[in-house]
Amino acid sequence: MIHAGSRAPARMLIAYAVLAGACALSLLPTIYMIDISLRNAEDSFAPVLIAGHVTFANYIAVLGHGEFIRFFLNSALVAGLTVLATLLCVTALAYALSRLKLRGGSIVLLVIMSALLLPLASLLIPITVLLRTLHMTNSYLGLVGPETALGIAFGTVIVKGAMDGIPLELEEAALLDGANSFTVLVRIMAPLCRPALLVIAVWQFLFSWNEFFLALVIMSRNEMKTLPLAPLFFEGPYMADPGKLFAILTLIGVVPMLFYAVLQRWFVSGLMAGGVKG
Amino acid sequence: MSTSAGSTALPRLRPRTRRFRIGASQAEAWLYVLPALLLFLLFELYPILANLWTSVAQAKGGPSLIRYGEAAGDPVFWLALRNSVLWVVVSIAAEIAIGFPLAVLIELGIPRGRAWFRTLLFLPMVVTPSVIALVFTTLYAPDYGLLYGVFRSLGLGGSFPAILGEPALATYGIIAVNVWQWCGFFVLMYCVGIAQLDREILDAAAIDGATGFARVRHVIWPMLRATHVSLIVLGTVQALQQFPLIYLMTQGGPANASQTLATYIFQTGFDENRMGYASMVAVVLFALALALIAVEYAIADEWWGKLRAGWLKGDAR
Repeated sequence: MIHAGSRAPARMLIAYAVLAGACALSLLPTIYMIDISLRNAEDSFAPVLIAGHVTFANYIAVLGHGEFIRFFLNSALVAGLTVLATLLCVTALAYALSRLKLRGGSIVLLVIMSALLLPLASLLIPITVLLRTLHMTNSYLGLVGPETALGIAFGTVIVKGAMDGIPLELEEAALLDGANSFTVLVRIMAPLCRPALLVIAVWQFLFSWNEFFLALVIMSRNEMKTLPLAPLFFEGPYMADPGKLFAILTLIGVVPMLFYAVLQRWFVSGLMAGGVKG
Repeated sequence: MSTSAGSTALPRLRPRTRRFRIGASQAEAWLYVLPALLLFLLFELYPILANLWTSVAQAKGGPSLIRYGEAAGDPVFWLALRNSVLWVVVSIAAEIAIGFPLAVLIELGIPRGRAWFRTLLFLPMVVTPSVIALVFTTLYAPDYGLLYGVFRSLGLGGSFPAILGEPALATYGIIAVNVWQWCGFFVLMYCVGIAQLDREILDAAAIDGATGFARVRHVIWPMLRATHVSLIVLGTVQALQQFPLIYLMTQGGPANASQTLATYIFQTGFDENRMGYASMVAVVLFALALALIAVEYAIADEWWGKLRAGWLKGDAR
């Protein structure tokens, strides 16, 4: 690889400067959010980036909220179940398409892929009406079902891509030993697809943790609400006390950020490994 | 993510012929398909069919297109449609214009620290949109927001606009937030695309004299065609379905100025309880997504055809 920088240090310095500036802009709103959450009541309306007088009182106050803890647990449960359900559905589907000579398989793939072209907003009303009919509003499964469905198209592309790249020889030995299709999937295919499955798990966790639109219409009872609804819920009560509101916002936002920071290395290498072929 | 429907619909080239296969019956194979297919039918195919039906169904008598006629005379509907198209065009143009150069700098311009920049730029992507909405509402706020502080320190405090309160600015103010959030995604996908480019072709181009900007413009940019197309298709769907930012920052206001089809579906369906009308708007949104993506494919094809013709001419010389 030829780096412009190895020949021209000045160019490289400019590249670093531009990237550092972009990162600063990219992180600025998050820093601003954290700063407001650490301000005392007097400073909370100051139009500056860092106001000084750091206090953790806002965090102590909001962590005492039963509702906030409840929202947090709801989110964790919904996101966990969504990730699990997506992995199961996607692995099974990709396996059937990649290995089992499914008749009509290419049509199934094409139909499932067409879901990538659907804006969620255009599906929202019928989904809500359907869940009301099934008495599944204000239930965890009412949110897990649609969120899983929305992750299947992307997941199938990635996992099928990974499975297509696994050499057939590995299965032959197992099949000669009399293994059935399920054993091959669980013992050989799924473990070999781990990088692709991790990409899907990260993507679906972030999607579910942050999902607002479905949660807004499906979870109307307070005890069922997930974290993305918390800003709306606490906005009114904390109108005059932004420090506490921003402590809540920071607590919501920090979870996916830490989650991604820890897993990004595998997420990116999973993407690079060729699960994604442009 | 960067995998487009278009590229996956193409047959995969297999390096070897299939000599061996797992002895599973068709019934067994369909069993593996069933859970995913069931969820797809319930939460994706059924909603589309239900929308189509609800948008024309009448309490008395047969189906009628009366709601579509009603929409033609509804100025808010036209405003929402215009804003949805604006969202797609401005978001994608800005995300590519910012994301592509940054990705080139990360992958080809610096010897160290690539993973750091990719991660830091991607972080806005993972923050909950409803959180972002409130942070930017404060950031934009006249009198106490950070942006006002910047204007004031430059001596321009008096001319600071109430971004979210001005009909002419509100939509652009929210689109800017969307662009801020999604640029990192474009950077990451372009980085993946550049890293997967054939090194031999890049090196050959360098030997032929294509270096620096010329290499980016004439070699790297066209070679990333598949990534461009995937990102444009994904960006289109993403921009069309954006809801939390608009709902929490302006609720479609002031005076419907920032209404999009997505927020209008919510307003007519849930606030005003006009499910039939909302379903009609949902059908329009669905049709708009398909139409925009079709146009994007057509443009990409034409552009690619011209480019290839140019290359062939170059070869002949």
